[in-house]
Amino acid sequence: MLFAIGDYLAGIVIGALTALAIHAAVWPGMDLVIAVLLGMAIGMVLHLVLALLFAPLVGIFETLMPASLIGTYGGMLFAMRDAMAAGSPTLASAAAVGAIFGVVAVLGVKIYSRILRGPVLEVGS
Amino acid sequence: MDKDTQRKWDSASRTFDFFSFAEDRRLGAEKQRLFAKMRGAALMVGVGTGNDFKFFPPNMHVAAIDISPKMLERAAKKAPAYSGTIDLREMDVCNLDFPDASFDTVASAFTFCSVPRPVEGLVELRRVLKPGGQLLMFEHVRSRIGPFAILMDLMTPLSRRAGPELNRDTVGNVEKAGFRLRRVENVYLDVVKAIEATKDDAARL
Repeated sequence: MLFAIGDYLAGIVIGALTALAIHAAVWPGMDLVIAVLLGMAIGMVLHLVLALLFAPLVGIFETLMPASLIGTYGGMLFAMRDAMAAGSPTLASAAAVGAIFGVVAVLGVKIYSRILRGPVLEVGS
Repeated sequence: MDKDTQRKWDSASRTFDFFSFAEDRRLGAEKQRLFAKMRGAALMVGVGTGNDFKFFPPNMHVAAIDISPKMLERAAKKAPAYSGTIDLREMDVCNLDFPDASFDTVASAFTFCSVPRPVEGLVELRRVLKPGGQLLMFEHVRSRIGPFAILMDLMTPLSRRAGPELNRDTVGNVEKAGFRLRRVENVYLDVVKAIEATKDDAARL
């Protein structure tokens, strides 16, 4: 139970900080391609650092896999949104959207992991 | 002996227990379920700081090797708590100092992500296994799910500097080394897997 709470907490923090960092780096009207690449780069670096911080508390893989989705793909989405001026007007709302994205990513990974769990090859001995 | 790998894991030994603390608790039951199948003369490869001793079946005699002397120093402190006997030795998996057909079981946990020449290491494990002997591996591998696979490929150049590679095809490597796969189970996504294979005389390189 505590680990599950930790998973979501990690997703919220990584999502919110990624969204805030990109909100600070990408301005409305920025070239969309540059913005997406920048968002991806910021998200990749940030999620690796944050995943290292959370890994001892909630586990390396349980942190790294959702964090990589949040940081990299979330980073691209947040950057696209900010470059198109379609994003959140305030820092608080940007962080909230990032946090929601984090929760959804963690939930999605948990569901997918449960679906995939179990034997994929079993040969009679 | 691969000195670069040895230096890397000597250095990682200082923080190894800290970073694996939660993972041990989350995946420990799965490891224990796999290692419960250990029987006869057993070899543990890449024993690290000895965190997996507690998952071994009781009262076994296990030869446990690691390339890093610093890891083995820490493992030596945990070995006396095990109910059986653990013989710790510094060794490179690609050059094992054991005769052919010495073991009934070879086990590993999160090891073949870090062996620079994994197929060579697995061939060496096959050599020291008795015919019909079993290989039990608890390993992380490259995901086959597109979005994860791309990210694991991108992160590997960074991760390999301080520790493991994230995009290894360990299941494929086991087959390349001449083992017959008996069971493969997904434990977390399709990334963490329990792999069981046997040294089958019919399977040749």
